[in-house]
Amino acid sequence: MTATTSDPKAMPAPSVAKDDHSEGMSYLESLPRKTVTVYIPLIIIMVVLLFPFYWMFITAIKPDQDLLDLHGGNPLWVGEPTFRHFYKLLFESNYPTWLWNTMFVAVCATFLSIVASVLAAYAITRIRFKGAQTVGGLIFLAYLVPPSILFIPLSTIIHVYGLFDTPFALILTYPTILIPFCTWLLMGYFKTIPYELEECALIDGASRWQIMVKIIIPLAIPGLISAFIFAFTLCWNEFIYALTFISSNPNKTVPTAIVSEFVDGDVFRWGSLMAGALVGSLPLVILYAFFVEHYVSAMTGAVKE
Amino acid sequence: MADAAIARTTAAPGEPSTWERLKVNRNWLGLWFMLPAMAFLVLFLVYPLGKGLWMSFTDARIGREGRFVGLENFEWLIEDRDFVRALIFTIVFTFIASAVKFAIGLYLALLLNNNLPFKAFIRSVVLIPFIVPTVLSAVAFWWIFDTQFSVITWGLVKLGLLDRGSPINWMGDPTMAQGVVIFANIWRGIPFIAITLLAGLQTVSPSLYEAATLDGATKWQNFRYVTYPLLTPIIAVVMTFSVLFTFTDFQLIWAMTRGGPVNATHLMATLSYQRGILGGNLGEGAAIAISMVPFLLAAILFSWFGLQRRKWQQGENND
Repeated sequence: MTATTSDPKAMPAPSVAKDDHSEGMSYLESLPRKTVTVYIPLIIIMVVLLFPFYWMFITAIKPDQDLLDLHGGNPLWVGEPTFRHFYKLLFESNYPTWLWNTMFVAVCATFLSIVASVLAAYAITRIRFKGAQTVGGLIFLAYLVPPSILFIPLSTIIHVYGLFDTPFALILTYPTILIPFCTWLLMGYFKTIPYELEECALIDGASRWQIMVKIIIPLAIPGLISAFIFAFTLCWNEFIYALTFISSNPNKTVPTAIVSEFVDGDVFRWGSLMAGALVGSLPLVILYAFFVEHYVSAMTGAVKE
Repeated sequence: MADAAIARTTAAPGEPSTWERLKVNRNWLGLWFMLPAMAFLVLFLVYPLGKGLWMSFTDARIGREGRFVGLENFEWLIEDRDFVRALIFTIVFTFIASAVKFAIGLYLALLLNNNLPFKAFIRSVVLIPFIVPTVLSAVAFWWIFDTQFSVITWGLVKLGLLDRGSPINWMGDPTMAQGVVIFANIWRGIPFIAITLLAGLQTVSPSLYEAATLDGATKWQNFRYVTYPLLTPIIAVVMTFSVLFTFTDFQLIWAMTRGGPVNATHLMATLSYQRGILGGNLGEGAAIAISMVPFLLAAILFSWFGLQRRKWQQGENND
């Protein structure tokens, strides 16, 4: 707030001017005006954004007979909540297996990608080998190649390698989505670490490997957490590869299983479907709740460069 | 150990061995550090991309290597009504969804940039639709827009806007279903755009607004001549990504409609899956996927250069 401190009236109490740093000129707005221009539109947008989750939750705890009877009572509320759908999901279906598959694939793929990305990002930003700039650009281009134009040729390749219908089909293909993103994000973080630290270590006789493991990685922990969370979410969310490369029920991941396994002929089991969708989102939402800041910085960091 | 010691003494001091020199060579080291990432990207990205291009010129089927057939697949596709329909719908879908996402996303970002109570909390709540896997929220939309038991229909009946005897056939009517999937895509995309643009907005110094306001600028002028020019670079990047991912969307459509009713909501990606994997015509599926590439390149170039040039112009002659 340099502008306010140059204002003579603000001079006697500069600390006050500093305190309302985030407020800007908003004190000029009256409450009724702000209600109409800010709060009401904000509330409407939030309601639209969150309503599907509310509806999912309500559907998941409704008894079956209430689900198909909209006009009997108020469908937005549940008289007698039941956890039968959750019980059936967790104890009478393969759901725990699917959850485990998703978790296993996501953790392995994320781990592989982060290791590969740390090495690549370090090499591009710090070792500066011949053509490092070009390689950085190519990796960014790889980020722009969408899975939906790769899944057909990949499915034949997966067959040839004998990986079809195994978790490895996913563990090895997900990194192609994750590595470009993670490398790009980590390059941004590595660039902020001062060169001097590395030069000191070089003079003390450290090898490149030691510098990376003992100096760069510890300093880039926030970046690594961001990359991990975002990559993990992308894995959990991935659908087209999982749909194409996995065929048998016990090997499926949650997103693909949900859309195919809860439909008996033409009868949709809406309660179980919604319970499954909720439970499938829960691990991500919990993870997200703990690391919001890292998540946001990963998202914005990836587009800032 | 002893060997190593001997090796070290035999090499004359001041003249390191080839191995020693190689160990500190930037290019040699760089190669090793890049190896894991490159291995993944070449094996599972570059190679399939090339193979996909090749397959689009063959008549490959599942379990059978194809013969080269030249442009036959593409000639077939141009004649194919379903393909042309999917192509048109993909373009319309991308255009409407991206435009609305951008407008509402920017509006939401501007709203969130105000001085609000519980700002951090509101911001994290807004992002939830982006965190939850697309397929799982698509399932919720599937149920919200169910033809018989739609809660929206119920709401409209309650408000007296709709007769109870004639419910809206959300997912059964082609135009309605197209509207529903576009809506779901917009719903899912807004948080990403809003939060990234908000990050851009927060870097704009408040003193610029104060200066503009002292000069008599209105709220609109503040936005048009201060916010928008400063935000243009980030808008270019965000919209490039948004257009790209909207154009190649697969999972939302597949989870909600599988391309139905009567193929009205097929995007090119879903049509390619249906023909290539379910139908077994890998060559034709690959051709559909490959025909997305020119559009993708055009979209990327358009959003990138279109918005970048704007920025340069504004830098040069102040619009």
